[in-house]
Amino acid sequence: MRLLAVVAAITALAVACQRGSGPTLTVVIAEYSKDHTRPFWQALAEQYSKQGGPKVDLRIIDWNSIDQQVSTMIQNNQPPDVLNLNSFSSYARDGLLHPADDVLSPTTRDDFLEAFARGGQYQGKLYGMPILSSARAFFYNRDLFARAGVAAPPRTWDEVVQTARKIQALGSGVIGYALPLGPEEAQAEWSIWMWNGGGDWKAGDAWAINSDANVRTLTFLADLANRHHVTQVNPGKTNRTDGAFGLFKDGKVGMVIGFSPLAKQLDAEGKVKYGVAEMPTTRDKPLTLGVEDYLMAFKKKDNREAVKKFLDLYYQPDNITRWITAEGFLPVTKSGLERMRANAALKPYLDALPNARLVPTTDPAWDRVKLDVQQNIGLAVQPGGNPKQVLDQLQRNAVAAAAR
Amino acid sequence: MSGRRWEALLWLGPSLALIGGVVFYPAVALVRASLGRYSITGLYQGSVGAENYARLLEQPALPTVLANTAVWVTAVVSITVVISLALAQLLNQDFPGRALVRWALIVPWAASLIMTSTLFVWIYDYYFGALNQLLMSLHVLTRPVDWLAEDTTVMGAMIAVGIFVSLPFTTYVLLAGLAGIPGEVYEAARVDGASTWATYRLVTLPLLQPALLVAVVLNVIYVFNSFPIVWTLNDRNPGFGHDTMITYMYKIAFKSALRDVGLAAALGVVNVALILVAVVAYLRTVRWDDDAAAAGSA
Repeated sequence: MRLLAVVAAITALAVACQRGSGPTLTVVIAEYSKDHTRPFWQALAEQYSKQGGPKVDLRIIDWNSIDQQVSTMIQNNQPPDVLNLNSFSSYARDGLLHPADDVLSPTTRDDFLEAFARGGQYQGKLYGMPILSSARAFFYNRDLFARAGVAAPPRTWDEVVQTARKIQALGSGVIGYALPLGPEEAQAEWSIWMWNGGGDWKAGDAWAINSDANVRTLTFLADLANRHHVTQVNPGKTNRTDGAFGLFKDGKVGMVIGFSPLAKQLDAEGKVKYGVAEMPTTRDKPLTLGVEDYLMAFKKKDNREAVKKFLDLYYQPDNITRWITAEGFLPVTKSGLERMRANAALKPYLDALPNARLVPTTDPAWDRVKLDVQQNIGLAVQPGGNPKQVLDQLQRNAVAAAAR
Repeated sequence: MSGRRWEALLWLGPSLALIGGVVFYPAVALVRASLGRYSITGLYQGSVGAENYARLLEQPALPTVLANTAVWVTAVVSITVVISLALAQLLNQDFPGRALVRWALIVPWAASLIMTSTLFVWIYDYYFGALNQLLMSLHVLTRPVDWLAEDTTVMGAMIAVGIFVSLPFTTYVLLAGLAGIPGEVYEAARVDGASTWATYRLVTLPLLQPALLVAVVLNVIYVFNSFPIVWTLNDRNPGFGHDTMITYMYKIAFKSALRDVGLAAALGVVNVALILVAVVAYLRTVRWDDDAAAAGSA
């Protein structure tokens, strides 16, 4: 009886300690869409294994949890081999990444579009390899414009106010301009208005968040909400996806800043007749936000070759173009740009790409500044908010973050 | 001698390993994390002693968060207990369909907290929410209210959801307590000529004390630790104005500009200490291990 107990215990222990055999490549990808992300990367992983690569442990994680899960992986000393994220420079600064020179073939490296390759550099070396990009554009509701008697989308900020007022006057819950400055992606909305107001995140190498131009711009946005009353309620607490976009897709909003996946959804639903225009600006040429997401390779024992084969497989023009087109985003490679030019639906965004600016992702302090802006800038446009105070605080925190 | 000891250890082994792995190891890891410095990526960068605790006390948002937590726990637990006492009394009576009502009461408890919270986010929504439409059609409101964005209504909205999901458990605990009260006591009270309210106050409530104790202590722990409700309902609000200690800890670790695992771990240790102190203080106040109090009322 006692012998049986001992044998049972030892067997249980042995089974529990069994680990999966053989090396695996851990690939973490953000979930851009429920329908397209997993199928593509699953197929890519299978193709990779068939071509002789190790087994791929593919994890598709949605945007709300990916930061936490990656942080947990690194705390546990279990970083992935390949990671897709919208920032990279903090990981580069901590010495966790292979430089792109070590894990990309020269042809792939030369294929990147200049602006995006520059946006992935840390201290002069490429660490964050562009995976896809998007450019924002100014969406407007043609039906509401017609009903309000507005002939063309606004080009200056005064025209924005006038147009929004006319649309708001239509009544029955119609909103002039949907302004999402909630914690989800406030830095994107703010970047676009800030640049078109003549300001920037930095002046040279130093943070300039509370420059005079920026204070004027944030005051303009606060006035849209609290003086002209042409925005949705509580813009400082509205997000894009479940707030501003939802209202625009419902036909309740005259103008909003959107991007190509929104256009895809609008086309699929067919409910709203929308137009796409350039950003209203105080400068001579409008500027828009270009966003690139990155692929990065973590330094782990003996994984360089395996990672290189995987990345080369993704960057083959057929593969990368197929996925970017399916998700509705924009290319990051010269070959991809050529292939996607034929797509008429993407024309306004592809045209905007040369005028697209990127946020300063190459600076590790940006990771903190971005979060700070997301959490706090909405407070400036709430009733009783103080734009100058909010920007001053953001500037102080940015300088402190840069000093860490 | 040693043979029996080894055999006992072998049988206890799996349970001890489980407790060690699930309870002790995370606690040790949490304390170790609170004594360390972490990069924004999560990389451990060495020990810094008690510096995280000192920085925690300097956080400007801490007083607001503490106050929010006190309001949240007190309001949810006290209102839940009051309503549950009434509900338990109702469900203790025999009426047609009682079994059905008892089963229906389990639903808020069985449903996932995230799903319940998401549902309430849409009920409370300014533009699309059912609550605004209902109140406006009843002419209680003339204009819709942004329940989850207005600073005056957010806490109330969260507390309502907290009460909603806490009622089933508390009601069932009190129902079990009521079922344990012998009928003779009520007969004696009736013979002595006590009114309904006097019976309730002087007979039922004292005999319910053990059940009330369980309900209050467990609820305080659950509500203090409750993450999904506050997180989901407060999701669109910037800053820390309506966070409780638990969501504040999560935001420090992952979502705020701080992104500091060490600081969050320090707050985690403080949270554990806080809830321990609160529970011990409550138990002391009701003198739960005082046998005389329990036996004296019979």
